[in-house]
Amino acid sequence: MRPAFPVRLGAAEETLIAQLKAAGADQVAERVTVAGLPTRRVEAYHYTDLKTLLRTVPPLAQPANEATGTAIRVPGAYALSIVNGVVQHAATAPEGVIVGKTHGGVLTHRDDTLVGISNGLTKEALSLDLRGTIDQVIQIDHRIEGEAGHVADATKIFVADDSSVVILETFSGSDAAHVGNHASYLALGKNAIVTHVTVDLGSRATAHFATNEYHLAEGAQLRTLVVHAGSGLARTHLFPRMEGAGAHADVTGLNLVSEGQHSDITMETTHAVPHTSSQPLFKSITRGRSKAVVQGKLIVARDAQKTDAKFMHQGLMLSDDAEILSKPELEIYADDVVCGHGSTCGKLDEDSLFYLLSRGIPKAEAETMLVRGFIAELIDPIEDEALNEALQGIVDGWLLGQ
Amino acid sequence: MTTPVLEIRNLHARIEEREILKGVNLVIPQGEVHAIMGRNGSGKSTLSYVLAGKEDYEVTEGEILLNGVSILEMEPDERAAAGLFLAFQYPIEIPGVATMTFLKAAINAQRKARGEGELSTPDFMRAVKEAGAQLNVDSEMLKRPLNVGFSGGEKKRAEIMQMALLKPSLAVLDETDSGLDIDALQVVSKGVNALRDGKRSMLVITHYQRLLNHIVPDVVHVFSDGRIVESGDKDLALQLEAKGYADYDGQAA
Repeated sequence: MRPAFPVRLGAAEETLIAQLKAAGADQVAERVTVAGLPTRRVEAYHYTDLKTLLRTVPPLAQPANEATGTAIRVPGAYALSIVNGVVQHAATAPEGVIVGKTHGGVLTHRDDTLVGISNGLTKEALSLDLRGTIDQVIQIDHRIEGEAGHVADATKIFVADDSSVVILETFSGSDAAHVGNHASYLALGKNAIVTHVTVDLGSRATAHFATNEYHLAEGAQLRTLVVHAGSGLARTHLFPRMEGAGAHADVTGLNLVSEGQHSDITMETTHAVPHTSSQPLFKSITRGRSKAVVQGKLIVARDAQKTDAKFMHQGLMLSDDAEILSKPELEIYADDVVCGHGSTCGKLDEDSLFYLLSRGIPKAEAETMLVRGFIAELIDPIEDEALNEALQGIVDGWLLGQ
Repeated sequence: MTTPVLEIRNLHARIEEREILKGVNLVIPQGEVHAIMGRNGSGKSTLSYVLAGKEDYEVTEGEILLNGVSILEMEPDERAAAGLFLAFQYPIEIPGVATMTFLKAAINAQRKARGEGELSTPDFMRAVKEAGAQLNVDSEMLKRPLNVGFSGGEKKRAEIMQMALLKPSLAVLDETDSGLDIDALQVVSKGVNALRDGKRSMLVITHYQRLLNHIVPDVVHVFSDGRIVESGDKDLALQLEAKGYADYDGQAA
């Protein structure tokens, strides 16, 4: 249905429409033609108005000839990579890991433009079938190389019943005005235990978009950690869905935002059946003139009694010019649940800082200790030592940079 | 004559527009323990914060010399490295910062500032274990984040343990007895007394005389309305306990 006043389309939208049509994604092309990119009037994009923030979209990226190498190396990890949307040949997989490719997009259809574009433009997805206790961290390294390019890539991961695995997805590439639209689909079997960490380390010129979809069967335990520490514009949209009794998700994320950057983590967790729980915990640290956004929506279905869910977002402002925006939402149709939300925002505590200084610790080191302390709750639960260290290294790198 | 560890000359300080210290004069020679007693609001704690260099206070007049060197222009961390230690009345809880990480950072930062090498991990562990044993600070406490979930007594014991590890030339103890029961008071006092070595000086700030039964001072000063109004030996504390501070009320104006 066309609105009475059709939206004015900008250069970014014109490019997207042409790319979608060329890929045969006519429905999505039509959607962008009619509605344009999401504006602040679309609730899920309220603080991240893509029509304003995304002025141009580069041509679809060509297969890369050169690669800069991974942004993070985790010793002992089994590494796979997707460069400019092309799944690379992999080394022999560890036991319990089957690596493959699937064609087309991986995300469940929903009323979301970026999801539509991902499904419309993704040519091939990396697929993983995982079974048993997998001790090696599996790293999927997404890179966009060469001149500015638009990339849609995807991973589709099935974790068998009673299996456990730690998966790291990293996003980086050359220093150019790339647009990445990344999709991750994870299905957790009964009693599966999965840690899924995604880290954006794109260049300042890059716009990073990611959509992560999780399906949890009975007794499945998920821990997610989204880290935004690179791209000038970063947005990760999380859709965890509790589909079996006893399923639990610790949905966590960290926006590290510097001068001129805009980082957004938006979550929509659905509790579809009785007796499930989730603990969404997000933190944002801002410096310079920058903007961090966290939106968290908890949806509890009509018969999903005994749901236990609490959303929390804590902001730490290291400058006076930064903005931290927080929007919790509850949409509860059941009547016997424990659901809540909270949000805090502040500067480094001066009394804590003085205490550390009074013990001889110089100011810069004391501030670093307090910032590390602030995010310890997110990093500490990552039990794999090498991965934990790599994540701590990213945080320290951010703290040292400007 | 050797240089006093602490010399305060005509110190005036204010917070925002309110003058709190109104001309403090105090000399603590090496190895001596001085007590400052005074009622609440007399400016005792302000003196400890001004010594440690808390930002909120502005020194408007006077001088503070630590081992003969002015510390007024120094940051709090530089003062610590120069040998000043403040045992807080209310030690701060810092979630997410492990106690051991903090101790190691503090010790090594001070060593570095003094041009000494870092302590090796085994030496550090040994030092912490020794200091901890004296003050009943067990490994369970050390595993927790800094001061988090510590009882009042545990916090004060941890403060004195830090002092034992950092080996300051001047220790300022701000109301170290507050919130302590008799048993805890004895442990803390024993820890403090163990650090009296004839060289280290201490300034014990307290509201009550009872602490001074355990940490016996060489000199007692009475603090009223932002300055020292009388000084004497340890018997002065006993007189105060009997008569209260009323005698000094008129003098300070």
